[in-house]
Amino acid sequence: MVKLSSDPLSWLMCALFFAAAPLLTGIINKVKARLSGRFGPTVWQPYYELLRLARKETVYSTSAGFISRVAPVLVWCTIAFAALLLPLGRPAAVSFPGDIILFAYLLALGRFFQILAALDVASSFEGMGASREARFAVFAEPIFFFTIGSLAIVTRRYSLDTVFAEISWRDPLFFVFVSVGVLSLFFLVSAECSRMPVDDPNTHLELTMIHEVMILDASGFDLALYQHAASLKLLLYSTLAALMLNPFGVFGPAVGALVYLATLLGLAAALAAIETLMARFRLLLVPQFLLFGTAIGILNILIFTFSRQS
Amino acid sequence: MIALFIIGLALHGLNLILPALLRDSRRLNIACNLLNAGALLCGLIFSLSALLAYQRVEYRFAVPSTGSVVIGFDGLSLFFLLTFQLLSLAASLYAIGYLPHYIERGLSVRGHLWFFTLLIVSLQLVAVVQNALVFLVVWEFMALGAYFSIVFERTKEQVRRGGFWYLVATHACVLLLYVCFLVLHEVTGSWNFDDFARHAAYEPKTLALVLLTGFAGFGIKAGFMPFHVWLPNAHPAAPAHVSGLLSAINIKAGIYGIARLMMILPAQEAAYGWGLLAVSLISAVLGVWYALAQHDIKKLLAYHSVENIGIIGLGLSVAWLGRCYALPELVVLGFAGALLHTLNHAIFKGLLFFGAGNVYLHAHGGNIEKMGGFARVIPLTAVGFLVGAISICGLPPFNGFVSEFIIYKSFFRAADLLHGYAPLLLLFAAVGLAFMGGLAVACFTKLYGIVFLGQNRAGVAARRQGEPGSSSIVLLGLASLCAIIGIFPDTSLRLVGPALGELTGADQTAAEWVSPIGQLQIVFLLFLALTVVIYGVKVWLQGRTVVRLAETWGCGYTAVTPRMQYTASGFAAELVQLGRPMLDFAVQWTPLQSVLPVARAFHSHCHDRMENGWLLLNRGIGRLLGALRWIQSGDIRHYVLYVFAAVGFYLLCALVW
Repeated sequence: MVKLSSDPLSWLMCALFFAAAPLLTGIINKVKARLSGRFGPTVWQPYYELLRLARKETVYSTSAGFISRVAPVLVWCTIAFAALLLPLGRPAAVSFPGDIILFAYLLALGRFFQILAALDVASSFEGMGASREARFAVFAEPIFFFTIGSLAIVTRRYSLDTVFAEISWRDPLFFVFVSVGVLSLFFLVSAECSRMPVDDPNTHLELTMIHEVMILDASGFDLALYQHAASLKLLLYSTLAALMLNPFGVFGPAVGALVYLATLLGLAAALAAIETLMARFRLLLVPQFLLFGTAIGILNILIFTFSRQS
Repeated sequence: MIALFIIGLALHGLNLILPALLRDSRRLNIACNLLNAGALLCGLIFSLSALLAYQRVEYRFAVPSTGSVVIGFDGLSLFFLLTFQLLSLAASLYAIGYLPHYIERGLSVRGHLWFFTLLIVSLQLVAVVQNALVFLVVWEFMALGAYFSIVFERTKEQVRRGGFWYLVATHACVLLLYVCFLVLHEVTGSWNFDDFARHAAYEPKTLALVLLTGFAGFGIKAGFMPFHVWLPNAHPAAPAHVSGLLSAINIKAGIYGIARLMMILPAQEAAYGWGLLAVSLISAVLGVWYALAQHDIKKLLAYHSVENIGIIGLGLSVAWLGRCYALPELVVLGFAGALLHTLNHAIFKGLLFFGAGNVYLHAHGGNIEKMGGFARVIPLTAVGFLVGAISICGLPPFNGFVSEFIIYKSFFRAADLLHGYAPLLLLFAAVGLAFMGGLAVACFTKLYGIVFLGQNRAGVAARRQGEPGSSSIVLLGLASLCAIIGIFPDTSLRLVGPALGELTGADQTAAEWVSPIGQLQIVFLLFLALTVVIYGVKVWLQGRTVVRLAETWGCGYTAVTPRMQYTASGFAAELVQLGRPMLDFAVQWTPLQSVLPVARAFHSHCHDRMENGWLLLNRGIGRLLGALRWIQSGDIRHYVLYVFAAVGFYLLCALVW
């Protein structure tokens, strides 16, 4: 029932996944810099930052209790464990029917501790960020379930390991379903990974931040964990979108990997372009933006079901 | 083994005369609660061993006028008996440390302990009595016990008001149950549940009447929307050990009733299943949304009970659909999810209410806007409450996740097995559950963050205070139960096994359908191992560098005070405002006007639209009946006239027919 993959490559892919996460962030930053006419730091910059942080001293707030000390670990572990559920060319490291639920709930557990850690230090700025994170997560949850969840119901596979394998490019209906699904997931990425137009990762005003303001008081290895977790989360959701196209099932492992990487790069470029060209939405507009993502998801599954019926 | 159960009841019986014997309130409190705990421990051993080595047992007593009365210990009864006993045990132990605070203030606990014992005894009997007449009698005893336990501090107006809400609700509930059971008796000619079950040929109309009155009656007790209005009024009014008991198990008596009705009545109409699904989903989503808007810790928890009752209802409705379409797998999954969530909710809601009791004692009130930093003041409560909060949000690896997972799974299986638009509806239900999960996370991060983290908003310096020993034991015990059931789901699945076997007839297959969920422990253990490893790395790395303390970064502002922290209202405000058509969220404030403004006030409050609706209905009925008030003139001659008129009317009737 619960399958722990016996294929060492599955676990190796996960390790590679963890290692490669900051690179995606680095690439996005690089593309952004070039688009705005700067040269920008190298794509390896996030690695240097992580190393620097891991070596630095840690400062805890005098108001902080045990939550601030365990939260970075839990935030990282929930996201990392969610990554184990993804099939990266090989069977997923951990899989069981219904692991879609575990995926969503693990990320919610991470968010739970992230929010608590923000409230732990008695700062009004961080409380503000925590409130926003909680609010937007409420609207992001349905998007996930209307894309991955409805894919599961349509294919009757309830494990992330197998749900994507059912996607075929030949069925035009599926094609529509998948392409709209990728769009919904793109909405999800912007909300869950604190990207534009929901959150501006580069802003310098605490009042306008969401994710960055919640980790204002984190430092040293704790901050490194948060930063790596954030980039891991971005890679995680981008991978979900890339897997919707089922590259490994359609093209086989070697070409599939290339297609997968190309999709990731495409998403990164799209994110970078949006962040260069657009401003962040007003915070009051964000729920509407996310509800729009949900509405797309609902329409998508409705169209699919009705055309299947007729 | 049944001897243990009887010993338990006898000890409870002893407890009912104890308040008359012991004079000293403090000693009475300890003796009474310890005796209750001992009795419940006996009962718990009985029900646990009976469930693990399951054998259906029933006793028939011949009673002259009503025929035989059945006391039965089947899977469902034993499971609920176990839940009731477990939480009553926790509440009794908790009361030992909690009640002295009331005794200090000069309140008499004599009567309170008597009714508290009555509540515990009758709750246990409700689960095992399988005869409608006796069931109703015991049910009324339970209602009375609960009412008098609630109105402990009867000098407070809010308490009397909350108690009155409970009294009205429980009367409405029992009125509907009378109709339900009388109709069943008329049709089958018996009062015993097994005779109801054996009677196969129900007419659709009779069945509709029985199901609607039964579901509505038990639904009032369980707190489904729109019958939930008594919960947020009664729970804050009761002392913590009673509100814990009310929320954890008293409302579960309603769930037991619905589950029992589903077992004994034939499922023919799928419409009831879909109806229950809709009601449950509304209860779940709106329950947590209302909870988000509350500032009172107990009121917030009470609304969360509505949410969780909704989740249980979701499982029950899938089970009903499974029975209608003859799909035993759905019955097993739906029922397993519902029953397990009943047990889980009992555990973590007990935990949260008892934790809230400790908070209440230290904050001298329930308004969370005046709290903060309690994790330093009452650290054990903070740990227990955190576990409860994670569990109630349904997050892994605690017990709430397991039961919600089974309910999701039942949705998915139902989507596979049912045809037409059913999968679509079930997808919407699953998304509703996920949406509700997001709201629950927002709500409990708010509650935990505002109450336990940060700094005290009332400006009280954080100083570690003693927590009563018994309450710490209870909180940590319940918290570890949350963890055990969460990490090793197999343990609790074995407890629901007998009930599931009886539902579907075949024990083997029932076990097969749910047993895969028991294997989840590998996943959870792996996750915990990962967490420990990473925490180890963190400790090792931080050991090599400096770790020091400093002020919170105030973004350049240095005169920060605790009152500048984010408030609970601020945290939830925008989510609450987004739910505005459904939530009656009102703010009152006067804008700042001059350059040197004087003090201004800002109030926000969330009214329950359904509560207002019931009050409006009540007022309408009152006005209607008020129009007939002239009949009661108070003049004796008029009443004599009425008597004559009535007699004349009857005589006339007798002549005509």
